[in-house]
Amino acid sequence: MFALDIAAHTGPWRSRHPAEKAMLSLGLLACAVALPPWPGALFSGAAAAVLLVGPARVSPAVVLRAARVPLLFVATSTVPLLVTMHAPARLTVNAEGVVPAAQTAGRSVAALICLLLFSATTPLSDVLPRLHRLGVPPAVTEVAALTYRMLFLLVDSVRAVREAQAARLGFRTWRTAYRSLAGQAGAIFVRAFSRARRLEEGLALRGYTGSLAVQVEARRVSAPFVAATVGLLVLIVAVSVVVGSQW
Amino acid sequence: MHIAEGYLPPVQAAAWFAVSAPFVVHGSRALVQQVRRDPETKLLLGAAGAFTFVLSALKIPSVTGSCSHPTGTGLGAVLFRPPVMSVLGGIVLLFQAVLLAHGGLSTLGANIFSMAIVGPWVAYAVYALIRRAGGGLDVAVFAAAALGDLATYCVTSVQLALAFPDPATGFLGALMKFGGIFALTQIPLAISEGLLSVLVVRLLTRVSGDDLRRLGVLRTPAVQA
Repeated sequence: MFALDIAAHTGPWRSRHPAEKAMLSLGLLACAVALPPWPGALFSGAAAAVLLVGPARVSPAVVLRAARVPLLFVATSTVPLLVTMHAPARLTVNAEGVVPAAQTAGRSVAALICLLLFSATTPLSDVLPRLHRLGVPPAVTEVAALTYRMLFLLVDSVRAVREAQAARLGFRTWRTAYRSLAGQAGAIFVRAFSRARRLEEGLALRGYTGSLAVQVEARRVSAPFVAATVGLLVLIVAVSVVVGSQW
Repeated sequence: MHIAEGYLPPVQAAAWFAVSAPFVVHGSRALVQQVRRDPETKLLLGAAGAFTFVLSALKIPSVTGSCSHPTGTGLGAVLFRPPVMSVLGGIVLLFQAVLLAHGGLSTLGANIFSMAIVGPWVAYAVYALIRRAGGGLDVAVFAAAALGDLATYCVTSVQLALAFPDPATGFLGALMKFGGIFALTQIPLAISEGLLSVLVVRLLTRVSGDDLRRLGVLRTPAVQA
Protein backbone atom coordinates (compact mmCIF):
# COMPACT_ATOMS: atom_id res chain seq x y z
CA MET A 1 0.00 0.00 0.00
CA PHE A 2 0.97 3.65 -0.22
CA ALA A 3 2.27 5.38 2.92
CA LEU A 4 -0.24 8.24 2.67
CA ASP A 5 -3.15 5.82 2.21
CA ILE A 6 -2.00 3.76 5.22
CA ALA A 7 -1.82 6.96 7.29
CA ALA A 8 -5.34 7.91 6.15
CA HIS A 9 -6.75 4.48 7.04
CA THR A 10 -5.07 4.22 10.44
CA GLY A 11 -5.09 7.83 11.66
CA PRO A 12 -7.30 9.29 14.43
CA TRP A 13 -9.39 11.22 11.85
CA ARG A 14 -10.34 8.02 9.99
CA SER A 15 -13.93 8.08 11.29
CA ARG A 16 -14.53 11.75 10.48
CA HIS A 17 -16.79 12.63 7.55
CA PRO A 18 -14.66 13.19 4.39
CA ALA A 19 -16.49 16.49 3.76
CA GLU A 20 -15.14 17.89 7.06
CA LYS A 21 -11.55 17.00 6.17
CA ALA A 22 -11.99 18.23 2.60
CA MET A 23 -13.36 21.55 3.85
CA LEU A 24 -10.41 22.01 6.21
CA SER A 25 -7.55 20.92 3.96
CA LEU A 26 -8.92 22.22 0.65
CA GLY A 27 -9.94 25.47 2.35
CA LEU A 28 -6.37 25.89 3.56
CA LEU A 29 -5.14 24.93 0.07
CA ALA A 30 -7.36 27.62 -1.48
CA CYS A 31 -5.96 30.17 1.01
CA ALA A 32 -2.37 29.09 0.23
CA VAL A 33 -2.91 29.48 -3.52
CA ALA A 34 -5.22 32.51 -3.64
CA LEU A 35 -3.83 34.74 -0.87
CA PRO A 36 -0.53 36.63 -1.39
CA PRO A 37 2.37 34.20 -0.69
CA TRP A 38 3.57 36.47 2.12
CA PRO A 39 1.92 36.14 4.58
CA GLY A 40 -1.12 34.10 3.32
CA ALA A 41 0.70 31.00 2.07
CA LEU A 42 2.98 31.01 5.12
CA PHE A 43 0.04 31.02 7.57
CA SER A 44 -1.94 28.42 5.58
CA GLY A 45 1.07 26.11 5.25
CA ALA A 46 2.01 26.51 8.91
CA ALA A 47 -1.56 25.78 10.04
CA ALA A 48 -1.70 22.67 7.81
CA ALA A 49 1.69 21.46 9.10
CA VAL A 50 0.64 21.87 12.75
CA LEU A 51 -2.65 20.02 12.12
CA LEU A 52 -0.86 17.29 10.16
CA VAL A 53 1.69 16.30 12.80
CA GLY A 54 -0.49 17.42 15.76
CA PRO A 55 -4.17 16.38 15.90
CA ALA A 56 -3.98 14.20 12.76
CA ARG A 57 -0.86 12.46 14.18
CA VAL A 58 0.84 11.77 10.84
CA SER A 59 4.50 10.80 11.18
CA PRO A 60 6.88 13.54 9.96
CA ALA A 61 8.87 10.78 8.21
CA VAL A 62 5.81 9.91 6.08
CA VAL A 63 5.27 13.60 5.26
CA LEU A 64 8.91 14.15 4.27
CA ARG A 65 9.06 10.98 2.17
CA ALA A 66 5.87 11.96 0.29
CA ALA A 67 7.16 15.52 -0.25
CA ARG A 68 10.49 14.52 -1.83
CA VAL A 69 9.40 14.26 -5.48
CA PRO A 70 7.23 17.42 -5.59
CA LEU A 71 9.96 19.37 -3.79
CA LEU A 72 12.44 18.22 -6.45
CA PHE A 73 10.09 19.63 -9.11
CA VAL A 74 9.77 22.92 -7.18
CA ALA A 75 13.57 23.20 -6.85
CA THR A 76 14.18 22.43 -10.55
CA SER A 77 11.44 24.75 -11.80
CA THR A 78 12.57 27.62 -9.60
CA VAL A 79 16.06 27.76 -11.18
CA PRO A 80 14.78 29.36 -14.46
CA LEU A 81 13.14 32.12 -12.38
CA LEU A 82 16.55 33.12 -11.02
CA VAL A 83 18.12 33.71 -14.43
CA THR A 84 17.30 35.99 -17.37
CA MET A 85 17.79 35.09 -21.02
CA HIS A 86 18.84 38.20 -22.98
CA ALA A 87 19.55 36.21 -26.13
CA PRO A 88 19.55 32.49 -26.99
CA ALA A 89 22.12 30.68 -24.79
CA ARG A 90 23.03 33.93 -23.00
CA LEU A 91 21.92 33.63 -19.42
CA THR A 92 22.62 36.02 -16.57
CA VAL A 93 21.68 35.81 -12.91
CA ASN A 94 18.62 37.95 -12.23
CA ALA A 95 18.77 39.45 -8.74
CA GLU A 96 15.21 40.75 -9.11
CA GLY A 97 14.01 37.19 -9.67
CA VAL A 98 14.85 36.08 -6.13
CA VAL A 99 11.65 37.47 -4.58
CA PRO A 100 9.20 36.01 -7.18
CA ALA A 101 11.10 32.70 -7.09
CA ALA A 102 10.87 32.56 -3.27
CA GLN A 103 7.16 33.50 -3.40
CA THR A 104 6.40 30.81 -6.00
CA ALA A 105 8.37 28.13 -4.16
CA GLY A 106 6.83 29.19 -0.82
CA ARG A 107 3.28 29.08 -2.22
CA SER A 108 3.93 25.65 -3.73
CA VAL A 109 5.40 24.19 -0.51
CA ALA A 110 2.48 25.58 1.54
CA ALA A 111 -0.06 24.16 -0.92
CA LEU A 112 1.78 20.81 -0.88
CA ILE A 113 1.45 20.59 2.92
CA CYS A 114 -2.31 21.32 2.61
CA LEU A 115 -2.61 18.55 0.00
CA LEU A 116 -0.74 16.17 2.32
CA LEU A 117 -3.17 17.06 5.13
CA PHE A 118 -6.02 15.86 2.88
CA SER A 119 -4.17 12.80 1.53
CA ALA A 120 -2.92 11.56 4.89
CA THR A 121 -6.30 11.87 6.64
CA THR A 122 -8.88 11.00 3.97
CA PRO A 123 -8.90 7.55 2.33
CA LEU A 124 -9.91 7.65 -1.34
CA SER A 125 -12.27 4.75 -0.64
CA ASP A 126 -14.35 7.19 1.49
CA VAL A 127 -14.30 9.93 -1.16
CA LEU A 128 -15.05 8.04 -4.39
CA PRO A 129 -18.56 6.70 -3.52
CA ARG A 130 -19.60 10.24 -2.49
CA LEU A 131 -18.34 12.02 -5.63
CA HIS A 132 -21.63 11.51 -7.52
CA ARG A 133 -23.18 14.03 -5.08
CA LEU A 134 -20.91 16.63 -6.70
CA GLY A 135 -22.32 15.81 -10.14
CA VAL A 136 -19.70 13.29 -11.32
CA PRO A 137 -21.50 10.60 -13.41
CA PRO A 138 -21.87 7.32 -11.43
CA ALA A 139 -20.22 5.39 -14.30
CA VAL A 140 -17.06 7.51 -13.90
CA THR A 141 -16.97 7.15 -10.10
CA GLU A 142 -17.49 3.39 -10.43
CA VAL A 143 -14.62 3.08 -12.94
CA ALA A 144 -12.47 5.16 -10.55
CA ALA A 145 -13.45 2.90 -7.62
CA LEU A 146 -12.59 -0.23 -9.65
CA THR A 147 -9.25 1.33 -10.64
CA TYR A 148 -8.56 2.11 -6.96
CA ARG A 149 -9.32 -1.47 -5.86
CA MET A 150 -7.31 -3.10 -8.64
CA LEU A 151 -4.22 -0.94 -8.42
CA PHE A 152 -3.24 -2.30 -4.99
CA LEU A 153 -3.32 -5.86 -6.37
CA LEU A 154 -1.30 -4.79 -9.41
CA VAL A 155 1.27 -2.88 -7.34
CA ASP A 156 1.75 -6.02 -5.21
CA SER A 157 2.11 -8.10 -8.40
CA VAL A 158 4.72 -5.73 -9.82
CA ARG A 159 6.65 -5.83 -6.55
CA ALA A 160 6.66 -9.64 -6.56
CA VAL A 161 7.70 -9.79 -10.23
CA ARG A 162 10.48 -7.22 -9.64
CA GLU A 163 11.86 -9.16 -6.66
CA ALA A 164 11.84 -12.38 -8.67
CA GLN A 165 13.61 -10.64 -11.59
CA ALA A 166 16.19 -9.05 -9.27
CA ALA A 167 16.90 -12.44 -7.68
CA ARG A 168 17.62 -13.77 -11.20
CA LEU A 169 20.00 -10.83 -11.97
CA GLY A 170 17.35 -9.25 -14.19
CA PHE A 171 18.73 -5.74 -13.64
CA ARG A 172 22.41 -6.55 -14.21
CA THR A 173 22.78 -4.62 -17.48
CA TRP A 174 20.69 -2.02 -19.32
CA ARG A 175 19.57 -4.67 -21.79
CA THR A 176 18.32 -7.05 -19.10
CA ALA A 177 16.79 -4.14 -17.14
CA TYR A 178 14.65 -3.09 -20.11
CA ARG A 179 13.63 -6.69 -20.75
CA SER A 180 12.65 -7.04 -17.09
CA LEU A 181 10.65 -3.79 -17.14
CA ALA A 182 8.78 -4.95 -20.23
CA GLY A 183 8.07 -8.19 -18.36
CA GLN A 184 6.62 -6.21 -15.44
CA ALA A 185 4.38 -4.14 -17.72
CA GLY A 186 3.28 -7.27 -19.62
CA ALA A 187 2.52 -9.10 -16.37
CA ILE A 188 0.34 -6.29 -15.01
CA PHE A 189 -1.53 -5.96 -18.32
CA VAL A 190 -2.32 -9.68 -18.39
CA ARG A 191 -3.25 -9.77 -14.68
CA ALA A 192 -5.42 -6.64 -14.89
CA PHE A 193 -7.45 -7.96 -17.81
CA SER A 194 -7.64 -11.49 -16.40
CA ARG A 195 -8.97 -10.08 -13.09
CA ALA A 196 -11.48 -7.89 -14.94
CA ARG A 197 -12.75 -10.92 -16.86
CA ARG A 198 -13.07 -12.97 -13.65
CA LEU A 199 -14.92 -10.11 -11.98
CA GLU A 200 -17.18 -9.90 -15.04
CA GLU A 201 -18.01 -13.62 -14.79
CA GLY A 202 -18.54 -13.45 -11.03
CA LEU A 203 -20.89 -10.47 -11.32
CA ALA A 204 -22.79 -12.04 -14.24
CA LEU A 205 -23.46 -15.12 -12.08
CA ARG A 206 -24.86 -12.82 -9.38
CA GLY A 207 -27.29 -11.10 -11.79
CA TYR A 208 -25.21 -7.98 -12.55
CA THR A 209 -27.43 -5.25 -13.98
CA GLY A 210 -24.87 -2.51 -14.53
CA SER A 211 -24.71 -0.84 -11.11
CA LEU A 212 -21.71 -1.33 -8.84
CA ALA A 213 -23.05 0.90 -6.06
CA VAL A 214 -21.60 0.00 -2.65
CA GLN A 215 -23.01 0.72 0.78
CA VAL A 216 -21.49 3.89 2.18
CA GLU A 217 -21.17 4.11 5.94
CA ALA A 218 -23.39 6.92 7.21
CA ARG A 219 -21.37 9.54 9.09
CA ARG A 220 -22.56 12.79 10.59
CA VAL A 221 -20.79 16.02 9.83
CA SER A 222 -19.49 17.44 13.11
CA ALA A 223 -20.80 20.99 13.63
CA PRO A 224 -17.96 21.97 16.05
CA PHE A 225 -15.32 20.75 13.54
CA VAL A 226 -16.94 22.74 10.72
CA ALA A 227 -17.25 25.84 12.94
CA ALA A 228 -13.58 25.55 13.97
CA THR A 229 -12.59 25.15 10.30
CA VAL A 230 -14.54 28.25 9.25
CA GLY A 231 -13.02 30.16 12.19
CA LEU A 232 -9.48 29.12 11.22
CA LEU A 233 -9.97 30.05 7.55
CA VAL A 234 -11.50 33.44 8.42
CA LEU A 235 -8.63 34.08 10.86
CA ILE A 236 -6.01 33.26 8.22
CA VAL A 237 -7.66 35.51 5.64
CA ALA A 238 -8.06 38.37 8.15
CA VAL A 239 -4.50 38.15 9.53
CA SER A 240 -3.08 37.87 5.98
CA VAL A 241 -4.94 41.02 4.91
CA VAL A 242 -3.90 42.97 8.03
CA VAL A 243 -0.26 41.86 8.04
CA GLY A 244 -0.03 42.09 4.24
CA SER A 245 -1.26 45.70 4.27
CA GLN A 246 1.48 46.70 6.74
CA TRP A 247 4.31 45.39 4.49
CA MET B 1 6.31 15.47 -15.51
CA HIS B 2 3.74 16.77 -13.05
CA ILE B 3 3.47 20.45 -12.13
CA ALA B 4 3.58 20.46 -8.32
CA GLU B 5 0.71 21.56 -6.09
CA GLY B 6 0.31 25.35 -5.90
CA TYR B 7 3.08 26.08 -8.39
CA LEU B 8 0.87 27.87 -10.92
CA PRO B 9 -0.71 31.26 -10.12
CA PRO B 10 -4.43 30.83 -9.24
CA VAL B 11 -5.82 32.47 -12.41
CA GLN B 12 -3.68 30.28 -14.67
CA ALA B 13 -4.53 27.14 -12.67
CA ALA B 14 -8.25 27.95 -13.11
CA ALA B 15 -7.76 28.67 -16.83
CA TRP B 16 -6.18 25.23 -17.39
CA PHE B 17 -9.17 23.62 -15.68
CA ALA B 18 -11.42 25.48 -18.14
CA VAL B 19 -9.31 24.38 -21.13
CA SER B 20 -9.27 20.71 -20.04
CA ALA B 21 -12.94 20.53 -19.04
CA PRO B 22 -14.48 20.08 -22.56
CA PHE B 23 -12.15 17.16 -23.33
CA VAL B 24 -12.85 15.45 -20.00
CA VAL B 25 -16.61 16.03 -20.34
CA HIS B 26 -16.52 14.62 -23.89
CA GLY B 27 -14.54 11.60 -22.69
CA SER B 28 -16.88 11.09 -19.73
CA ARG B 29 -19.94 11.18 -22.04
CA ALA B 30 -18.30 8.63 -24.35
CA LEU B 31 -17.50 6.45 -21.33
CA VAL B 32 -21.06 6.70 -19.93
CA GLN B 33 -22.57 5.77 -23.32
CA GLN B 34 -20.15 2.87 -23.72
CA VAL B 35 -20.98 1.59 -20.23
CA ARG B 36 -24.73 1.96 -20.89
CA ARG B 37 -24.43 -0.13 -24.08
CA ASP B 38 -22.18 -2.74 -22.52
CA PRO B 39 -22.07 -2.67 -18.67
CA GLU B 40 -19.20 -5.20 -18.58
CA THR B 41 -16.93 -2.56 -20.19
CA LYS B 42 -16.79 -0.86 -16.79
CA LEU B 43 -14.63 -3.66 -15.42
CA LEU B 44 -12.23 -3.50 -18.37
CA LEU B 45 -11.98 0.28 -18.03
CA GLY B 46 -11.20 -0.11 -14.33
CA ALA B 47 -8.47 -2.58 -15.27
CA ALA B 48 -7.16 -0.17 -17.93
CA GLY B 49 -7.03 2.66 -15.37
CA ALA B 50 -5.14 0.51 -12.85
CA PHE B 51 -2.74 -0.64 -15.62
CA THR B 52 -2.05 2.98 -16.62
CA PHE B 53 -1.40 3.99 -13.00
CA VAL B 54 1.02 1.12 -12.36
CA LEU B 55 2.70 1.61 -15.77
CA SER B 56 3.45 5.23 -14.85
CA ALA B 57 4.96 4.03 -11.55
CA LEU B 58 7.55 1.71 -13.19
CA LYS B 59 11.11 2.91 -12.71
CA ILE B 60 13.08 3.33 -15.95
CA PRO B 61 16.87 3.60 -15.55
CA SER B 62 17.92 7.07 -16.76
CA VAL B 63 21.17 8.32 -18.25
CA THR B 64 22.05 10.21 -15.08
CA GLY B 65 22.16 6.95 -13.13
CA SER B 66 18.94 7.70 -11.26
CA CYS B 67 15.46 6.41 -12.17
CA SER B 68 12.57 8.15 -13.94
CA HIS B 69 8.95 7.21 -14.49
CA PRO B 70 7.28 6.86 -17.90
CA THR B 71 4.13 8.90 -18.53
CA GLY B 72 2.35 5.84 -19.95
CA THR B 73 0.24 8.15 -22.12
CA GLY B 74 1.59 6.90 -25.45
CA LEU B 75 1.03 3.23 -24.78
CA GLY B 76 -2.29 4.01 -23.08
CA ALA B 77 -3.51 5.98 -26.11
CA VAL B 78 -2.52 3.19 -28.51
CA LEU B 79 -4.28 0.56 -26.37
CA PHE B 80 -7.37 2.45 -25.16
CA ARG B 81 -7.75 5.49 -27.57
CA PRO B 82 -7.41 9.21 -26.62
CA PRO B 83 -11.04 10.05 -25.56
CA VAL B 84 -11.02 7.24 -22.99
CA MET B 85 -7.50 8.25 -21.93
CA SER B 86 -8.71 11.79 -21.12
CA VAL B 87 -10.97 10.29 -18.43
CA LEU B 88 -8.66 7.47 -17.34
CA GLY B 89 -5.69 9.87 -17.36
CA GLY B 90 -7.69 12.32 -15.23
CA ILE B 91 -8.51 9.55 -12.74
CA VAL B 92 -4.88 8.40 -12.68
CA LEU B 93 -3.61 11.97 -12.16
CA LEU B 94 -6.11 12.48 -9.32
CA PHE B 95 -4.90 9.24 -7.70
CA GLN B 96 -1.25 10.23 -8.18
CA ALA B 97 -1.97 13.59 -6.50
CA VAL B 98 -3.84 12.09 -3.54
CA LEU B 99 -1.94 8.82 -3.03
CA LEU B 100 1.60 9.96 -3.94
CA ALA B 101 1.49 13.80 -3.79
CA HIS B 102 2.78 13.82 -7.41
CA GLY B 103 1.10 16.77 -9.12
CA GLY B 104 -1.70 18.42 -7.19
CA LEU B 105 -5.35 19.35 -6.99
CA SER B 106 -4.92 23.02 -7.96
CA THR B 107 -2.68 22.01 -10.88
CA LEU B 108 -4.85 19.04 -11.90
CA GLY B 109 -6.33 20.94 -14.87
CA ALA B 110 -2.87 21.84 -16.23
CA ASN B 111 -1.55 18.29 -15.69
CA ILE B 112 -4.65 16.74 -17.30
CA PHE B 113 -4.17 18.98 -20.35
CA SER B 114 -0.52 17.99 -20.83
CA MET B 115 -0.62 14.32 -19.79
CA ALA B 116 -4.18 13.13 -20.41
CA ILE B 117 -5.13 15.22 -23.46
CA VAL B 118 -2.20 16.49 -25.56
CA GLY B 119 0.14 13.53 -24.87
CA PRO B 120 -2.41 10.83 -25.83
CA TRP B 121 -3.75 12.74 -28.88
CA VAL B 122 -0.24 13.38 -30.26
CA ALA B 123 0.75 9.77 -29.56
CA TYR B 124 -2.37 8.38 -31.22
CA ALA B 125 -2.10 10.71 -34.24
CA VAL B 126 1.53 9.63 -34.80
CA TYR B 127 0.60 5.96 -34.35
CA ALA B 128 -2.36 6.17 -36.76
CA LEU B 129 -0.33 8.07 -39.39
CA ILE B 130 2.53 5.57 -39.37
CA ARG B 131 0.18 2.58 -39.46
CA ARG B 132 -1.85 4.08 -42.35
CA ALA B 133 1.39 4.80 -44.22
CA GLY B 134 2.20 1.09 -43.95
CA GLY B 135 4.71 1.37 -41.09
CA GLY B 136 5.30 -1.56 -38.78
CA LEU B 137 3.78 -1.92 -35.33
CA ASP B 138 7.16 -1.52 -33.58
CA VAL B 139 8.00 1.73 -35.38
CA ALA B 140 4.50 3.13 -34.77
CA VAL B 141 4.52 2.25 -31.06
CA PHE B 142 8.04 3.64 -30.55
CA ALA B 143 7.21 6.94 -32.27
CA ALA B 144 3.85 7.23 -30.48
CA ALA B 145 5.30 6.65 -27.00
CA ALA B 146 8.40 8.84 -27.53
CA LEU B 147 6.58 11.73 -29.20
CA GLY B 148 3.65 11.50 -26.76
CA ASP B 149 6.14 11.87 -23.91
CA LEU B 150 7.92 14.76 -25.65
CA ALA B 151 4.61 16.51 -26.37
CA THR B 152 3.71 16.26 -22.68
CA TYR B 153 7.04 17.80 -21.71
CA CYS B 154 6.70 20.60 -24.30
CA VAL B 155 3.19 21.49 -23.09
CA THR B 156 4.39 21.56 -19.46
CA SER B 157 7.21 23.92 -20.51
CA VAL B 158 4.67 26.14 -22.33
CA GLN B 159 2.41 26.18 -19.24
CA LEU B 160 5.33 27.23 -17.02
CA ALA B 161 6.58 29.80 -19.55
CA LEU B 162 3.10 31.36 -19.74
CA ALA B 163 3.01 31.55 -15.95
CA PHE B 164 6.54 32.90 -15.51
CA PRO B 165 7.65 34.90 -18.60
CA ASP B 166 11.30 36.00 -18.76
CA PRO B 167 11.81 39.65 -17.67
CA ALA B 168 13.90 40.39 -20.81
CA THR B 169 12.63 38.11 -23.58
CA GLY B 170 9.14 37.27 -22.32
CA PHE B 171 7.36 34.03 -23.16
CA LEU B 172 9.91 32.74 -25.71
CA GLY B 173 12.86 33.26 -23.39
CA ALA B 174 11.03 31.52 -20.56
CA LEU B 175 10.07 28.66 -22.89
CA MET B 176 13.74 28.14 -23.81
CA LYS B 177 14.76 28.23 -20.14
CA PHE B 178 12.14 25.73 -18.94
CA GLY B 179 12.48 23.59 -22.07
CA GLY B 180 16.26 23.54 -21.72
CA ILE B 181 16.30 22.53 -18.06
CA PHE B 182 13.73 19.73 -18.49
CA ALA B 183 15.27 18.49 -21.78
CA LEU B 184 18.20 17.02 -19.81
CA THR B 185 15.95 14.35 -18.35
CA GLN B 186 12.93 14.31 -20.67
CA ILE B 187 14.59 13.60 -24.05
CA PRO B 188 16.43 10.48 -22.80
CA LEU B 189 13.25 9.50 -20.93
CA ALA B 190 11.14 9.83 -24.10
CA ILE B 191 13.53 7.52 -25.98
CA SER B 192 13.52 5.08 -23.04
CA GLU B 193 9.72 5.13 -22.89
CA GLY B 194 9.56 4.46 -26.64
CA LEU B 195 11.88 1.46 -26.34
CA LEU B 196 10.03 0.11 -23.31
CA SER B 197 6.65 0.45 -25.04
CA VAL B 198 7.93 -1.53 -28.05
CA LEU B 199 9.14 -4.32 -25.75
CA VAL B 200 5.80 -4.33 -23.89
CA VAL B 201 3.75 -4.54 -27.11
CA ARG B 202 6.01 -7.32 -28.47
CA LEU B 203 5.54 -9.25 -25.24
CA LEU B 204 1.76 -8.68 -25.24
CA THR B 205 1.54 -9.79 -28.89
CA ARG B 206 3.00 -13.13 -27.79
CA VAL B 207 1.17 -13.69 -24.50
CA SER B 208 -2.05 -11.66 -24.80
CA GLY B 209 -2.78 -11.41 -28.54
CA ASP B 210 -6.54 -11.85 -28.07
CA ASP B 211 -6.73 -8.82 -25.76
CA LEU B 212 -4.78 -6.73 -28.30
CA ARG B 213 -7.18 -7.86 -31.07
CA ARG B 214 -10.16 -6.95 -28.87
CA LEU B 215 -8.61 -3.49 -28.36
CA GLY B 216 -7.99 -3.13 -32.12
CA VAL B 217 -4.18 -2.95 -31.87
CA LEU B 218 -3.61 -6.21 -33.78
CA ARG B 219 -5.48 -6.70 -37.03
CA THR B 220 -4.45 -10.23 -37.96
CA PRO B 221 -6.82 -13.03 -36.88
CA ALA B 222 -5.59 -15.48 -34.23
CA VAL B 223 -3.74 -18.53 -35.61
CA GLN B 224 -5.77 -21.70 -35.07
CA ALA B 225 -3.81 -24.55 -33.49
